[in-house]
Amino acid sequence: MEADTVTDSRNLKVSDLLKDVRFDYDSLSQLVDASVSSIKEVIDGIPEDFKVTSELAPSFVNDIGADKVDFSFKKPNGFSLCGSYSIRCMAKPDASVDLLVHMPKECFYEKDYMNHRYHAKRCLYLCVIKKHLLSSSSIEKVVWSTLQNEARKPVLVVFPAKKLDQFPGFSIRIIPSATSLFNVAKLSMSRNNVRSVTADGVPEPTPTYNSSILEDMFLEENSEFLKKTFSEWQELGDALILLKIWAKQRSSIYVHDCLNGFLITVILAYLATHAKINKALKALDIFRVTLDFIATSKLWERGLYLPTQSEIRVSKEEKMQFRELFPVVICDSSTFVNLTFRMTSVGFQELQDEASLILKCMEKLRDGGFEEIFMTKIDFPVKYDHCIRLQLKGKTALSMSGFCLDKECWRIYEQKVHSLLLEGLGDRAKSIRVVWNNMDQDWHVENGLSVLDREPLFIGISVSSTEKAFRTVDIGPDAENKIEALRFRKFWGEKSDLRRFKDGRIAESTVWETQQWARHLIMKHIVEYILKRHLSLSSDDIVQLVEQLDFSLIYGDKDPISLSGNLLQVFEIFSKCLREIEDIPLKVSSVQPLDSAFRSTSVFPPEPHPVACEKIDSRRLQKLLPSCIPAMEVMIQLEGSGNWPMDDLAIEKTKSAFLLKIAESLQNVKGIPCTATEDNVDVFIGGYAFRLRILHERGLSLVKREIGADPVKQVSSTDKMLFIRSQHASMINGLQGRFPTYAPVTRLAKRWVAAHLFSGCLAEEAIELLVAHIFLTPLPLGVPCSRINGFLRFLRLLADYDWMFFPLIVDINNDFGRNDEKEINDNFMSSRKGYEEDRQNISSAMFLAAPYDKASEAWTTTRPNLSEQKRLGAYARSSANVLSKLILEEHNDSVQWECLFRTPLHNYDAVILLHRDKLPYPRRLLFPSELNQGKHVARGKASRLFNPFLLPGDLKRSHEELKNKLMVDFEPTKCLLSGLQEEFGTLKPWYDHIGGDAIGLTWNKHNSKKRERDEEEESNPMELLKAVGEMGKGMVRDIYMLKPPRFV
Amino acid sequence: MKETRKLQKRNLNGVRGETKVEVTDVKRVGKKIQRKKKEKVSNVDLSEQPQASQLQAISSEKPKTKKKKIQKSKEINSSPADGKLSGKMKKRKEKGGDVDTITEPNLEAISTEKVEEKKSKMNKTKKKRKAKEITRASVEDDNQKREGKSKKSNKKKKMDMTSMKENQIEEEEDVYEISSGDEDCTKGMKKWVTDYYESRPGIDELQKRIDDFMTAHDERLEKEKQEKEAKAAEGGWTVVVHHKGRKKSTEAESGTAVGSFSQASLEDKIAKKKQSEPVAHGFYRFQRREAQRNEILALQSKFEQDKKRIQQLRAARRFKPF
Repeated sequence: MEADTVTDSRNLKVSDLLKDVRFDYDSLSQLVDASVSSIKEVIDGIPEDFKVTSELAPSFVNDIGADKVDFSFKKPNGFSLCGSYSIRCMAKPDASVDLLVHMPKECFYEKDYMNHRYHAKRCLYLCVIKKHLLSSSSIEKVVWSTLQNEARKPVLVVFPAKKLDQFPGFSIRIIPSATSLFNVAKLSMSRNNVRSVTADGVPEPTPTYNSSILEDMFLEENSEFLKKTFSEWQELGDALILLKIWAKQRSSIYVHDCLNGFLITVILAYLATHAKINKALKALDIFRVTLDFIATSKLWERGLYLPTQSEIRVSKEEKMQFRELFPVVICDSSTFVNLTFRMTSVGFQELQDEASLILKCMEKLRDGGFEEIFMTKIDFPVKYDHCIRLQLKGKTALSMSGFCLDKECWRIYEQKVHSLLLEGLGDRAKSIRVVWNNMDQDWHVENGLSVLDREPLFIGISVSSTEKAFRTVDIGPDAENKIEALRFRKFWGEKSDLRRFKDGRIAESTVWETQQWARHLIMKHIVEYILKRHLSLSSDDIVQLVEQLDFSLIYGDKDPISLSGNLLQVFEIFSKCLREIEDIPLKVSSVQPLDSAFRSTSVFPPEPHPVACEKIDSRRLQKLLPSCIPAMEVMIQLEGSGNWPMDDLAIEKTKSAFLLKIAESLQNVKGIPCTATEDNVDVFIGGYAFRLRILHERGLSLVKREIGADPVKQVSSTDKMLFIRSQHASMINGLQGRFPTYAPVTRLAKRWVAAHLFSGCLAEEAIELLVAHIFLTPLPLGVPCSRINGFLRFLRLLADYDWMFFPLIVDINNDFGRNDEKEINDNFMSSRKGYEEDRQNISSAMFLAAPYDKASEAWTTTRPNLSEQKRLGAYARSSANVLSKLILEEHNDSVQWECLFRTPLHNYDAVILLHRDKLPYPRRLLFPSELNQGKHVARGKASRLFNPFLLPGDLKRSHEELKNKLMVDFEPTKCLLSGLQEEFGTLKPWYDHIGGDAIGLTWNKHNSKKRERDEEEESNPMELLKAVGEMGKGMVRDIYMLKPPRFV
Repeated sequence: MKETRKLQKRNLNGVRGETKVEVTDVKRVGKKIQRKKKEKVSNVDLSEQPQASQLQAISSEKPKTKKKKIQKSKEINSSPADGKLSGKMKKRKEKGGDVDTITEPNLEAISTEKVEEKKSKMNKTKKKRKAKEITRASVEDDNQKREGKSKKSNKKKKMDMTSMKENQIEEEEDVYEISSGDEDCTKGMKKWVTDYYESRPGIDELQKRIDDFMTAHDERLEKEKQEKEAKAAEGGWTVVVHHKGRKKSTEAESGTAVGSFSQASLEDKIAKKKQSEPVAHGFYRFQRREAQRNEILALQSKFEQDKKRIQQLRAARRFKPF
């Protein structure tokens, strides 16, 4: 039953998707017919028998190394439409139609298959056509492209002058075909047809070159075969479109060395003609069967053979030969061509991986993974953990032996880079993909092939596991194994080192020494070393996307996370102290950390402060010391007792009394200094300040009961919140241990949210859950293993998730059952109840369900609200776009990376700038804010009372006084914000709680009743802003007004 | 450089696009008017291009106080990145011919226009003058970044000198000065610092406060109780005294339980009861029928939801994968 509805809703969506992606062939065919006939007209009008020489494209002919290319022009033997248009399976937005132009035999000599002569003539033939097309008024423009990125086989893309708005970018690709131009036997796979391809003077076979010509010879025949298979089979065509959508969304498989639309069609045709799919299947089923076939079939090892028309059989020897020469074989119906001759084994591996991932999605995900399969773009940046761009422009070493031999030089280079990295990285990498899309968009064949190295070569690496990637020593072959050891030394050069290991082994090895916090850079160092050594590239040519975002997490030149270990040790000592306290009525039974610094997800975990210690070491008081110290919350539980008071206030007071007793005892017995307010007790130990909280177990038991049944009694909110926070802390801590990349990604995410002044909208815990979701449910991708990759996925999640219609379920310990999911869904539906009447009327605009909180009550009930969530999404989208672009194409300039964290201040109605030297932690400030627009309303002087650093005078005082000077958790920004919220309800602040120097303000909307009351304030926004400035005296530097309030 | 420009534009535009949406939400009425204004402003911007360049040169003679402030802030935190960026922005704005670059300052101009508009209500100046001001406002912004670098066209500088001066004074008067507040402890930094220290009077003092609270609290409770009892007694009722604390559950000597059962055993019972339920579940026909009906209802509602969602998606055109 359940499965039925899933497929139902999926089928509904699929049919809708198809409707949107399919073309309307009635109107399209009119356009195509008109365009084709005008092209035909032009080509037929070309005068015959004039001499075509290499003058038309001398560099091209020269670069592919052809000679004797002159011929006299003859009209083509005919035209035929082929490709996806002919089988009515085009998928939007690609609106190009393939037109085959059959080149006449008279233009070629019998031996033109030799030495690229065919390719040169083919190109010159197109040059002639282009020249005449350009002179026609029915054609707007003609540009060059290539067949599957093969530069020696250019094609023409014609944009007709006649256009329909329905089909934007409509074009016709003119592809020359060479039906029966040459003797097929001469092009058999074992023959050498390019004389310069030799090994030690002996000619080597040129299978790729031969296939390249054979492909053209059988273009027509193959397209006829496909037409026949696809005619009268609607579902098969639909499946083809679905497969195309799926493949096009994945840039790692829809490239020249893997899949293309034609090959998908061929695979489907193979399945259809071999009865692997029957006519009863629906499109989606065919889709699944095809992917299953791609992912798991054993037939790939043998090779696929399309049915032959005549009685020719492919002999065993021929099959063997195909298998030996090509990693993947799909032999066409003529039995001569391997249609997948461009596919590499890496590409095919990638294809199989992607296909099996999709099968997993279909099985596991909501709606059969519809969103993930068809709607999610999986480009290189989001797919690979470690991305590298190589700028190879003008690297002459590349073309030493000519551009085109059996394979083209770019493909050879791709292979070379791949094998180098494979050897260098070893098991650190799960997969390495090297892709060089070297086709320029405005390439002209006249320019030759030497300009085709402008685009950077792209390398994507999936890391196998973080532990492996972070390994500092690679052990190579034993010293006794002379040959291997020599090879190893040759590969690594001076980096290789003969070492004796603990187990007594003496072996060659490489050591990548680095600091603990910088271990994510090890792979970078390795890659750079290898590429420099073997490809003689300079550092500027190698752009690796690894550490570009680290600037936002680093103090000076060091990541403060490196002190986390120390913090945990101090915490251990502290909790032991607490448990040992004897002179309080109830003993401490458990101590649990709450602050994010304990789980490594704090953007800036506190550094030990020499004053916050039991004994102050005067020698350490020399340098510049901060005058503020953040307090980290620690939750304790006491032994059970029946003597607790009943009402909330009294409970809280009793808790305070206990805490004071604990503080007293710590101070008197252990000599650990403490400071206290009415609500908080802070303990200084080991350089840190811990803030104690007591969880009252009666409240806890009530919470527990509440989960089971309906709440009978209102649980004290403090206890409930404490309980939730402790649950959250321990779960995230566990997660952080499971995924080493989780913590840095979370820190980046938190930094981003704060940098764009969203601190008031999204709680830190909510961010932790969002990032957790990326790691726990990574489909349709793998688990992210690098911070940039994880961060990009976080941004995309924030931008693309359909928060209105779906709850985000974060199943941290994988313990949600069916009932839990139902419960969550019910909760979600009730939060969306008001949606029908009023779109604004929903609670939890971002519904986050976690194991401890199935109703999304903990973090996102009120904030972000709908408009805040939309704003967050918009910021995330633009940041994600910038980030993807930086990874793929931009030059590596740190300013552009900073843009990701630099928020535009003119998006607010008013802006308060703070005195930077009055921020408690000035080092946390990312960028100093300035504003040069709007109305300058007020300007304030800095207070002399507060200084973020201890003054030299203070340091000379007694230790007792010094301790009093150290301010725990004192944040003037926070004071200002709470004042704003209390007194200025008409203003909504946007701020950065980590340490920004700007606060954005927007005017709140009002309902008419309230307006009358606030009339005075509203009528003069300037006065209001001045009052704000007065309230923040000593802290506020400038106030600007950009937009006056809007009156409804 | 060009790429940076593009990128920034993209970044900003994306974000700005969103805020626009918000704006439309809020003021549907004002929308029309605003659009009109926008057009007007953009016209002005285009037509006054040459004049704008004049003004740029002039306003490089900035009010000196402003300049100083900028320098000061630079001293405090002279990040090289910031300088670079502003340099880039400068370049972008110089290329005024670009369509995109025109639209961007426009938005800025609108905000200034509104301010100006208010002023103009008081002293109705001519429209043309207003337009000039707008361009100047946006141009001025440019020049703060320029930091007086451009020392071209000295002649033109003098021409509009007078009007500039007027403007300067206006600016000066408008900016409200906030004192550092170091002597006033009702507001600002001084208050926060004092509050901080006052909230930490020492452990003994705090202990005393809590003790006071607790005694007061107990007294209040006691008093309430007594009042209640007194009231009840007045009505002629006898008060049945409730024994405080837990019921005696174990005999002092033997240690055996008296008339009570433990939490654990109760939970056990409940668990057992729950366990036995699935056996009974679906035993009777009505149970099975009910279960089936419920399931069908749930499925139906889910199906309805899905359909609704698809309609919404269709409206939002989410089915375009590319």
